[in-house]
Amino acid sequence: MLLRPTKDDLKLIGYSAARMLVISAIAGLIPLIWALAAREWAPAADFLVMVGLYGLLGGLGLILRPRNHRLDWSHGMVVVALIWLVVPLVGAVPLALSGHFGSWLDAFFDAMSGITTTGLSLAQDLDHMASSMIIWRHLLHFLGGQGIIIAALSLFSGAGTATLYRGEGRDDQVFPSVRSTARFIWLVSIVNGIAGIAALALVARLDLGFGTLRSLFHGVTIFMAAFDTGGFSPQSTSLGYYHSAPFEMVVAVLMIAGAMSFGVHYALWRRRSVLGNLETKTILLTFAGTLLVTQIGLATAGVYRSIAGLGRQSFFQVLSAHTGTGFSTVTSVELATWGGLAFGGVAIAMALGGMASSTAGGVKSLRVGLALRSISEQIKRVLLPEGAIISSRFWQNGPRTLSDELKQTVMAISLLYVALYVLGAGIGLATGIPLQQALFESVSAAANVGLSVGVTTPSMPAALKLTYIVQMWAGRLEFISIFALVGFAWSLVRGK
Amino acid sequence: MRTFVFAATLVLVTLVALPVQAAADTVSVGKLLSEPTSFDGKQITISGELIGDYGFRSDGTVWAQLNDDAYALSPLREGGALHGSNVGLGIRADEGFFVAIDPPGRYNQIGPVVSVTGTWKYHDPDRGGESYLEVVSLEVVKQGRPVRESTRPLVVVTGVLLTLMASGLLFLSVSRRSSE
Repeated sequence: MLLRPTKDDLKLIGYSAARMLVISAIAGLIPLIWALAAREWAPAADFLVMVGLYGLLGGLGLILRPRNHRLDWSHGMVVVALIWLVVPLVGAVPLALSGHFGSWLDAFFDAMSGITTTGLSLAQDLDHMASSMIIWRHLLHFLGGQGIIIAALSLFSGAGTATLYRGEGRDDQVFPSVRSTARFIWLVSIVNGIAGIAALALVARLDLGFGTLRSLFHGVTIFMAAFDTGGFSPQSTSLGYYHSAPFEMVVAVLMIAGAMSFGVHYALWRRRSVLGNLETKTILLTFAGTLLVTQIGLATAGVYRSIAGLGRQSFFQVLSAHTGTGFSTVTSVELATWGGLAFGGVAIAMALGGMASSTAGGVKSLRVGLALRSISEQIKRVLLPEGAIISSRFWQNGPRTLSDELKQTVMAISLLYVALYVLGAGIGLATGIPLQQALFESVSAAANVGLSVGVTTPSMPAALKLTYIVQMWAGRLEFISIFALVGFAWSLVRGK
Repeated sequence: MRTFVFAATLVLVTLVALPVQAAADTVSVGKLLSEPTSFDGKQITISGELIGDYGFRSDGTVWAQLNDDAYALSPLREGGALHGSNVGLGIRADEGFFVAIDPPGRYNQIGPVVSVTGTWKYHDPDRGGESYLEVVSLEVVKQGRPVRESTRPLVVVTGVLLTLMASGLLFLSVSRRSSE
């Protein structure tokens, strides 16, 4: 029997969500202050509305005062799914007011793309957008990647906070306490932030010849988009704007750092090798494989006239796809012409994604590795004599066992991703988009990548915009929280 | 004699310059990006707004982005309509062209509208496969200018009211918590 949630359940969910909204209000002060400093008065007013709305909703939630403060699994999952809807809903307000979006739906699309670290955009005339508005879009990447829940966990203690952590699709707990893990994630982000922004700003100043303040601006925005594997760019031509191999190299390092799990960051900080991990081996193998396929495709089609050109462009595009970042040094028009193997290589790299518990999307390398391991086990079972003992052990920061339960979970989540890719492609097809492009864009949205072959434009049908919004949301949260929210809503209506 | 030398120089310069101008097709960025190979290595002329940054490189060149979309002539900030995403490409020119040019287009600035002629380098093997226009001549068609922001009192009032209400609620929540 489905139980209707009690008033106290609702109060607890509202109260927990309110904390995240207060954090979002504080985060909203950053672009507000930036706008005032840059004398961008109209955007400053837009941000004031947003901060007020976040604060109002947060304040309303905080006065609820539930009797029980312990979040169980379903509460935690519902809070996470809800927060990942409400934050972009309110975060879209300044974007909609900016005049750079054709409709409120377009602004919401961008905010959802920002917070889910996807990078697809419906912004128009980005090149004349206020710098504070650009900072806000990139800060959404940071909030989603680093993020709101992690900030809440670092600041607030409380029973059941682990459910919030897991609800975001993170299962890599570096320390026994979730709070310590959350603080470690912030430490990694801050250290990478200082190093990354400094490196990018230096290259922009010394190699690209930009002014000092503009170098810093590009450093900050590109860092947030690269380390959080987001893909928004301050200029309409993405990374192609910079025309600089050194700048691309720094960005590549940041994309790799962003696609690594925080467990791997921890191991590297402790100078432990991670090369023996199943996940590391898998991602190196799949990256090499998809890069090779893409290069063969480009070489046979004669797209580039030099090995240096072929190597640089294919490496950057495949790395961007595999890490789920979505930066591009070629135009979407050109990417759409990469037919056959090259197109397939990039699409597969997007679908596979980065490491588990990172900001990268997609199926994730650990699941791919475990699925391959499971299949190889089945093949061995068929080929070897009946009594043969087949090892189910694998190495992932220590010896682990590939249990039946783990196999089922891996297969279920992987299948859900495939289903999401196919569903988006099907809806794309139904709106008249050719199969290849519909599939590419669907994978890009659901795997939170952001590369585009030109389908994602302000003029695309509203149904497709909504589809991609749902795909970005579901792909980022890895489904379970969303199922919990749907179940919760259903029990509110039909529960006894 | 001096007149003769001047006239001869003028004729020579005209002869050298004319083929460049005559051979250059005027194309839009949209057409160039959709048919990039058909213009590869050819002299073309493109007009549009310089936006973003002027990157003064150590080799004496400047990189900039040139957009030939509608926003340069009809800015959003001045009530212009939305016309989709920006359409632009990178250009590389001698820094001499950028000595006395207006700032590039940004939020509060409409960049200079220029007409540039140069060679379209598609997937340039010497620059790691980049595509850009190698500029040989640059003419400012329209000066850049600052753009004024429109004031929106209703948004400001709404923002202030919402923030005041939020502050009140947060204060109430904190005071209730401390009293408990």
